[in-house]
Amino acid sequence: MGEAKALTGPELEQIEKIIADYKGQQWALIPLLHEIQRVFGFIPPPAIGPIASAMGLFPSQVQGVITFYSQFYTEPRGKNIVRVCRGTACHVRGGKTILKLVKQQLGIDEGETTPDFEYSLETVACIGCCALAPNIVVNRDIYGHMNPKKVAAVFHRDGGQ
Amino acid sequence: MEAITITLDGVAVSGYPGMTILELAQESGVEIPTLCHEPYLAPVGACRLCLVENEQSGALVVACATPIAPGMVIATHSPRVIERRRVIVQLLLASHPDSCLVCDKGNRCKLRQIAAELGVGLVELQRIPQAATIEEVNPFIERDLSKCILCAKCIRVDQELVVEGAIDYIGRGFASRPSTVNNTPLEQSECTFCGSCVAICPTGALMEKERAYGGTTSHSVDSVCPFCGCGCSISLEVKDNHLVRVIPGTASPVNRGTLCVRGSYGCDFVHSPERLTAPLVKVNGEFEPVSWEQALERVASEFNRIKEKHGADSLAVLGSSKCTNEENYLLQRLARAVIGTNNIDNGSRLYSSARRLGLERSAGIPATPNSIEDLEQAGVIMVIGADPTVSAPAVGYAIKRAVRYRGARLLLIDPRQTKLAQFANLWLRPRPGTDIALVNGLARVMIEEKLVDAKFSTGKTKGFTELVSSLKKYTPEYVAEVTGVPTQDVVLAARLFAGAESAAIVYGNGITQHVSGVDSILALTNIARLTGNISNGGGDIFALQRENNARGAGDMGSLPDFLPGYQGVDDAQARGKFEERWGVSPPDGSGLTALEMIEQADKGSLKAMLIVGENPTASFPDSALVKNALAALEFLVVADMFLTETARLAEVVLPAASFAEKEGTFTNFEGRVQKLNRAIEPIGDSRPDWAILLEMARYMGQPMPYSSLQEVRNEIDELVPKKTSVKPGLFIPVEYKPVSISGDGYPLTLLTGSVLPHFGSGTRSLRAWRLKKFSPAAWVEVSGGDAQRLGLADSDPVKVVSPVGEVTAAVRVTEALPQGMLFMPISFPESPVNDLWAAGVPDLKTCAVRLERMSADG
Repeated sequence: MGEAKALTGPELEQIEKIIADYKGQQWALIPLLHEIQRVFGFIPPPAIGPIASAMGLFPSQVQGVITFYSQFYTEPRGKNIVRVCRGTACHVRGGKTILKLVKQQLGIDEGETTPDFEYSLETVACIGCCALAPNIVVNRDIYGHMNPKKVAAVFHRDGGQ
Repeated sequence: MEAITITLDGVAVSGYPGMTILELAQESGVEIPTLCHEPYLAPVGACRLCLVENEQSGALVVACATPIAPGMVIATHSPRVIERRRVIVQLLLASHPDSCLVCDKGNRCKLRQIAAELGVGLVELQRIPQAATIEEVNPFIERDLSKCILCAKCIRVDQELVVEGAIDYIGRGFASRPSTVNNTPLEQSECTFCGSCVAICPTGALMEKERAYGGTTSHSVDSVCPFCGCGCSISLEVKDNHLVRVIPGTASPVNRGTLCVRGSYGCDFVHSPERLTAPLVKVNGEFEPVSWEQALERVASEFNRIKEKHGADSLAVLGSSKCTNEENYLLQRLARAVIGTNNIDNGSRLYSSARRLGLERSAGIPATPNSIEDLEQAGVIMVIGADPTVSAPAVGYAIKRAVRYRGARLLLIDPRQTKLAQFANLWLRPRPGTDIALVNGLARVMIEEKLVDAKFSTGKTKGFTELVSSLKKYTPEYVAEVTGVPTQDVVLAARLFAGAESAAIVYGNGITQHVSGVDSILALTNIARLTGNISNGGGDIFALQRENNARGAGDMGSLPDFLPGYQGVDDAQARGKFEERWGVSPPDGSGLTALEMIEQADKGSLKAMLIVGENPTASFPDSALVKNALAALEFLVVADMFLTETARLAEVVLPAASFAEKEGTFTNFEGRVQKLNRAIEPIGDSRPDWAILLEMARYMGQPMPYSSLQEVRNEIDELVPKKTSVKPGLFIPVEYKPVSISGDGYPLTLLTGSVLPHFGSGTRSLRAWRLKKFSPAAWVEVSGGDAQRLGLADSDPVKVVSPVGEVTAAVRVTEALPQGMLFMPISFPESPVNDLWAAGVPDLKTCAVRLERMSADG
């Protein structure tokens, strides 16, 4: 988990406001985390303390839940989320190379975010359209039958956004 | 409850509903291997080793988490089960480092034991190498998570029993590890280094940090922790007459397999190089080692000479709330029957404990009659004048458990933000010294709003009308003005307390050490009686004791006004009993209290003293005066483990054995009498206090006729009534008397108290190397506001000045204190906070002071 950066006053206020709706309801930890992530794009580590005390949990427990689920994030993420499929069908069709190319294009490793916060890179196990393998997904759009040229095109086009 | 019968390995056995297969098997003597089960923790079924076969369904179920059901047929060691267990162990070993040869867990490692039992040797599976990641910054715990098997015991003991929540899993799958928040080192987390996780860890992932490889201990001996009044059971692990480590005893309901940092890491004072190993006699101002015969002859002849010349009452005996019950009994017999004086007291006098215990009997206030388990059942817990998380950690754990897991509500009354504040439903911060006004205010609201238990308050207890009229002036507005607690909080607190089915009051030295300590106790008793919370299950008054045997010392009559069992020194019937047994009539008329002894020594009317296991020079107010007074004695004998500030003033110093080197019993704050056993031989030529006392009496020509400790115990059983009858309850109105704490030129109020990891005057805890290393010197806590105003920052050296004296310490800025208040720990002789107090009344809690900045070079 990243170094805890202090929250600004308004951010903290906003978090407190979200937490208030869930106070004392231990069952609601995960919906609460989703809500904070929806607003901030990630769960700022300094929010863990206030969340824990509102829920009657230990901060370590809240951190445990956040880090258990791969789709909760504790660091700011890029505007665009790139997911490269590493499922079996994509693997057979060269998914590994596609991943390498995407890394080169973006200049980051898996799980990282570009310094300008444009892109975050992840892998997924399968996105369910194996017929189009190898695939990558950018935000909610699927790009099938990827090859080096298309990879370059995707990021050339999206990179300008 | 109807018993449930199941067939276990072909034998019919019965258990109660809700029992798990594992529990029933253990009870029936059937051994099932497990790595993650622990009796006081909720089962999680993490390790899967306790798999057993349900022969009817063929299913393999985990024994630790499966409740028994009628007619179950369970095989615990069928070939299928054994095969599965072997695979599980192989999988565990495949990712476990092969460092057994150099792992200090050695033969204590449960994983290794179980692998050996199952015959699992070299693992044929592909290995997942684990790089060692040893973290050993703090002086207590060494973490190497490459040896972690994810049984979650450390996390569970931390969360479920200690309720600190410093660690939980981070990540998942292969990557998951127990971790602090943000994965910081332990010392930057909430961890208090209680050591409970280390004791419970089945592998070498968590280990005690020791000076060097300790090797396998040969045996362990059950005993009782020598520090606070909780009386946690401990197990002393011994090798070659050396105490290697202390682990929590698991059978005791007091600590349930937990300890605190003092118990886990504080007992190596036993092997401190500073231990006294031979009797010392002062010759020309210098101590010279002598034989026991010479030392005792000197003591006996001087005591007899002074007694003959100045009378028995020119001698006094100061016993210790750290000595065993048997030793305290012998001490008072030595004073009363051999010397012939009632000048006998013990160190707990300082925090009124002694006086309170006597009062309990005379005013019909019951002594803490209930157990820590009862406390945990209370619906509301009011904590006042105590920080149990520091002064009585096992009680702190119980309170936190009650709040977090049993829905108890916590009413915290403390100006300081202690660790309990985050657990409190209502937290009141009265000004120091205004507790009586606040408690009276609560009583008034309860009566006004008819929240009182009518049957209890008007039926069983006398004096209700007097109480009501005495409370007239304590309106919430008046109370708010005096205490600084908002009126609505006074009302809410009263409703919270009175509204509970059972409400407990926990108080400690913050109450008893004040001038008005006894009155505060009476005020608290009044609200307990008003609401029917005396012996009402968890609803009761729980008095914490600072020292491990403060209660026992009082019970055994180390008091100037009471024979053993709180039988008055002038009670003819009691006197008769003791006379018959001792062959000497106990002297009549109350003797000198500890503080009066110092006073009389200073005046010259007290000529000789025997001090056993106490260090008044460090622990009494105005240490300069105490020093002068003791130095003025014609003859001072001190029995102690160390050459303390007090022992240095003595003519004869007798080397005493530590708790680990003797037998006896301690009585904890609940009244539980617990046995300590000898783990090692006395260090050097030291002797247990009881043996010293018996010899002393013999040399004085009046031997006490005991050939063993058991005979002492028999006499105690015979002469000390098990339970004194509590007189019928009575409301005793008490008035709040304003004491001005701050004075001209001394605008700040200093509070003192104990701190983790130290204890008392630090005689022992500062000689435990890990505690000393972790916390080597005193500090003074300053509120953020005051620090800013005075331009002080962390670790700035300052002088704390009172009208009487001054001490130096380093600043620690904290948000836990309200502005105008300071806090200092009492356990550091180099910063003797007691120098700030005037002699006399033992109000050792608050004092008016000012802060003076010191330049960095002093």
